[in-house]
Amino acid sequence: MTPRVAAAMWRFGMAEAMAYRASMFVWILATCFPLVSLALWSYLAEDGAIGGYDQAGFVSYFVAAFMIRQLTSAWVCWVLSRQIRLGELDAMLLRPAHPVLHHMMSNFAALPMRALMALPLGVGVLVMAGGGDPVAWGDVLRTLPTLALAWGIVFLCQLTVACLAFWLTSATSLYEAWLALHLVLSGYLLPTSLFPERFAEVIRALPFHAALGFPVEALTGRLSHAAYVEGLGLQCVWVVCFGVLASLCWRRGVVRYGSVGA
Amino acid sequence: MSGLSKHFRVSRREAGLRAAIRAVFRREWDTVRAVEAVSFRVSAGERVALLGPNGAGKTTTLKLLAGLLSPTAGELTVAGHTPGARQAAFLRSIALVMGQKRQLSWDLPALDTFELNRVVYGVSHSDYRQRLDEMVELLDLGHVVTRPVRQLSLGERMKCELVAALLHRPKIIFLDEPTLGMDVTMQLKIRHFIRDYNERYGATIILTSHYMGDVAALCSRVLLIADGELRFDGDIDDLVKSVRPVKRVSVTIPDKRHRVGMSEYGMVVKREERVVLDVERGKVSDVIAHLLSREGVRDLEVTDPPLEEVLREVFERRRPSP
Repeated sequence: MTPRVAAAMWRFGMAEAMAYRASMFVWILATCFPLVSLALWSYLAEDGAIGGYDQAGFVSYFVAAFMIRQLTSAWVCWVLSRQIRLGELDAMLLRPAHPVLHHMMSNFAALPMRALMALPLGVGVLVMAGGGDPVAWGDVLRTLPTLALAWGIVFLCQLTVACLAFWLTSATSLYEAWLALHLVLSGYLLPTSLFPERFAEVIRALPFHAALGFPVEALTGRLSHAAYVEGLGLQCVWVVCFGVLASLCWRRGVVRYGSVGA
Repeated sequence: MSGLSKHFRVSRREAGLRAAIRAVFRREWDTVRAVEAVSFRVSAGERVALLGPNGAGKTTTLKLLAGLLSPTAGELTVAGHTPGARQAAFLRSIALVMGQKRQLSWDLPALDTFELNRVVYGVSHSDYRQRLDEMVELLDLGHVVTRPVRQLSLGERMKCELVAALLHRPKIIFLDEPTLGMDVTMQLKIRHFIRDYNERYGATIILTSHYMGDVAALCSRVLLIADGELRFDGDIDDLVKSVRPVKRVSVTIPDKRHRVGMSEYGMVVKREERVVLDVERGKVSDVIAHLLSREGVRDLEVTDPPLEEVLREVFERRRPSP
């Protein structure tokens, strides 16, 4: 992989993202569930803080969850599994550049556009909800590496499932099941700390939390230094795990590739 | 390519709900022998056609050659590389153009894909500009390359696919039905372009097509594949001679009364105003002399039997009896 090739793929992905701007807006609306949760939990917190979150705390948490959900989004699972199933992977396999690099840059390139489109919505909700807790610049900086690793977890997990399409007819169904767990266990629906303590400890060790709840907690300044370092380490473990799995599935799968269709 | 085979394992079930439920618990499999012990060698710069009925194994052979499929058995070397390894040097030396598949992004102008390919294949800016201008002119593309691909006609899209595939100037080109669904003018243009590319750059062309016009115009050598096996490898003329050792003689005889006794010269294929006869090769000059001496005969023409008929005969001969 050369940086020039990656940059060209990024530009190509950017151009595609602009061409699909209307679809992207719909995807953003489809992932605004944290904003619905915000309304519910801030109402419940009217009489006092719940699990360490007062009304402003919930506003900050769910607006951050909404924005981080946009910045860690990927769709390689659906696109790659379709390409494998219908034999559309041919064109990418024929180029002297790894198809996964193409997907990676294409998914990555859409993030700025997605963030730009989601930002007014996030800010609007923040203003309408009366503002949240102030965000420290230090926390924003601390969040950047957690965001990159969270995106890595989401992308590599999707890539692993997509590669199962070399063997399965409908690999995306598996990811739908994964998403159902993600909804509950990632901190998307409610902050992880609201779960019973022992259950919350288990959840914090899972990839769902590492992919969303952890960066949100880092951004909203709810992590001690030790918890932050531990969380980063855990994110790295999940990136490596999914990276190894995806690489294994890809290498074994591509040999099985049937290149169906004329 | 030596003793190359490709087998696929495919599931099978009868129609109906009961069969569908049974298949959930006990799936049955078949082995499809798409390519079976095929051996051939193609020299640099040759133009070769892979011919055969639907499902014969032509496209599978092309995909094996391009490294998209891994062979079940046999040895395969293309330009000194093992295609399945998909090394960058190998991928830079080949192009595969498929009439039914595309590498162009649907919602972007073709130029965006060309630019991506320029960087991926490491083509310099000046070479890119020169090659693009040349191909745009040869293929009459003009402003077509600046429009989103989804808004292009089939022919325009195919021409853009050709440009995208040839920008890195590959030495080996695999073409799978390159003129599929195109009108005659477009077919001629693409044939001319491919021939020109081969002559200019000495590229090797391996082509599959159901249009015998493509084959006759582009290739002198044919590889005939049926049921995954190689049935013939040689010159088109030799194939025609071996299958139909006759010449096709056509004459115009407007008056019905003058058309009698035609079967004396050979097998009558058509007996209308234009009479068509299949005549043994050794007797052609005698038959011509006789026909020209007859009253009311004009516009005599001697050709080989059409390739379509020759191939149909070959495939029907090979078809196993039920």
